[in-house]
Amino acid sequence: MKRLFTLFLMLSIILFADEAQDIIKKIDNNLRGKNVYIELTMTITSMGHQRTMKMQNWAEGNKKSFVKTIYPPKDKGITFLSLDNQMWQYVPKIERTIKIPASMMLQSWMGSDITNDDVVRQSSLIDDYVPKILKRDGNIVTLELMAKEDAPVVWSRIVSEVDTSTYTSRKDLFYDEDDVAVRVFTFDKVKKVGQYFIATYWKVQSLTKKDSYTEIFIDDVKYDIEISDQYFRKSALKRFSR
Amino acid sequence: MFRLALKNILFYKGRSVTTGILTFVSTILFVVSVSLHNGSHQSMLENAIKIYTGAIEIYHKDYRDVGGNEYLIQDVKRITDKLATIEGIEVFSTRYETYGLLSTSEQSAASMIAGIQPQKEKRLSSIRQALREGVFLDENSGNCLYMGSELAKKLKLSVGGEVAFVGGASDNSFAADIFKVCGTFKTGSYEFDSSASFINRSYFDALMYADNKASYVTIKLKDLDAADEINEKIIKALDDDELESLTWKTLMKTMVEALEVDTIFNIISLALFFIVIFFVIMIYGFINVSSRIKEFGVLRCIGLSKRNVFELLFYEIFIISTLAIAFAAPIAGYISYYYTINPIVIEGIAELYKDYGIVSDEIPFAFDVGTILWNVSVIYVLNFLSVIYPYFYINSFRPIQATRHV
Repeated sequence: MKRLFTLFLMLSIILFADEAQDIIKKIDNNLRGKNVYIELTMTITSMGHQRTMKMQNWAEGNKKSFVKTIYPPKDKGITFLSLDNQMWQYVPKIERTIKIPASMMLQSWMGSDITNDDVVRQSSLIDDYVPKILKRDGNIVTLELMAKEDAPVVWSRIVSEVDTSTYTSRKDLFYDEDDVAVRVFTFDKVKKVGQYFIATYWKVQSLTKKDSYTEIFIDDVKYDIEISDQYFRKSALKRFSR
Repeated sequence: MFRLALKNILFYKGRSVTTGILTFVSTILFVVSVSLHNGSHQSMLENAIKIYTGAIEIYHKDYRDVGGNEYLIQDVKRITDKLATIEGIEVFSTRYETYGLLSTSEQSAASMIAGIQPQKEKRLSSIRQALREGVFLDENSGNCLYMGSELAKKLKLSVGGEVAFVGGASDNSFAADIFKVCGTFKTGSYEFDSSASFINRSYFDALMYADNKASYVTIKLKDLDAADEINEKIIKALDDDELESLTWKTLMKTMVEALEVDTIFNIISLALFFIVIFFVIMIYGFINVSSRIKEFGVLRCIGLSKRNVFELLFYEIFIISTLAIAFAAPIAGYISYYYTINPIVIEGIAELYKDYGIVSDEIPFAFDVGTILWNVSVIYVLNFLSVIYPYFYINSFRPIQATRHV
């Protein structure tokens, strides 16, 4: 009887772990498709005023991504390329391509509450964390993602609320190495685009700076389109800057 | 009783000379040691403050703990206008510091870039004296960057080279520019030399939208010892709960704590030294008194009270101590004074220090009459304490019993 119970318990753990992993993969698939083109508006609220930026993003899989700033005019043409977890930036004003070093990965990306690491380490949820189901409430599943011991990640733990009817995240809470919640992502306005679901409103808020937050509005999204491989070369930074 | 004490001193020459020499040596060692200790600590603090940290700095609250553009001082002119009226301030300056990325075609590195007022900075800190190559900044140096030598090495840059800067402006918007390296510095602090760069504030303000803003205001005082008093005046003059004015004691808390620990260890080693001296003087006194038991018995029999015996012993130690200290104190004071004006320079180590830029190669003393007086007082007290046990020993004998003591 005891052996049967142990076997049952182990099977449950394996099945739940598989289910949690499956949920994460489905969320990731919704975000990326085979490839994806996104136009977004980013509004940064800090120090009592707002700044708005508009960007285009081309991404293929979880290793290649190209971002171009199209608004405001002051920042127009600034491009970012992330390739195999490395990141480069081109600044038309100074006509320089700059490699962002690892030491700058936790720095703010374009003055927002998103870090360079968020932009580059897009694959980390699947590769660097072990997911576990914490709670179920109808379609809403709460997942805990624990960083693998040897994973080069900055968050020790992420607690994610997932809507399993669309496989989109509703809220992600990020914990630092001291297991203190430091940042929260909230997602809303889920939209179906072809076979994929995507939240078209994202809000990122640091829990240490209550009055500043970043909102991202997905204006347009196209999945599984043909994206030229030219976008994912270093030469693209300058070439597509114009 | 005084005359009798004097006679005894002359009669028991061995004991008198030994006690005198011990007191003399202890006084000189104590005064010189305390002077060296205080002088080296003061020098360490002054060097540290000279490099970059001010004697007093004014911040927006939470800038130091949380950081970020939200906690910049927004109307810095209002503060500098008030500082101009406060007595005791030698010079003050505003600094705008930010962290950004410096990048060449080969390398990139994160750096603290500080917009400074070059003319004022020359008087405030030793950044200019730390110059290794090229030139320091001036009011017209535009996009010239004055870079830490280790950072320049990391970026494979030399004077005349160009470096791209990207970072966040004071309103968190994106900022980028090309800077030209006009000079490099070496302060001796590897961390500082490998991460800090300076640029003329007026140029940097335009790039960072930082006009009339500052990360903090740094202040140099005419007298460092008056830091607390002047800080009180500053806090009163600012009258703003959103601002905090901090002295070097808070700004350099780690160093102050390290110096305090060092002082405690110094006190412990001095205490051990004094325990040895105290016991040697006391043992000599005790041996001397032991050989004079019969004499004390006779003195008690002819009418001397216990109090008179104590007075006798007291006068003996007083005369010996006073004579020894009278010779030792001026010599020790002179040594302290001489090395305060002409600090010790350790040959060889001096060359090594010079290689590290502005870190002083001198070991100064601190001459202070007040300190010498309390040092001398400690020696006096110890000598007086050393006669207490012999006194009780003598009085443990009854007068008649003492006269028969062999």
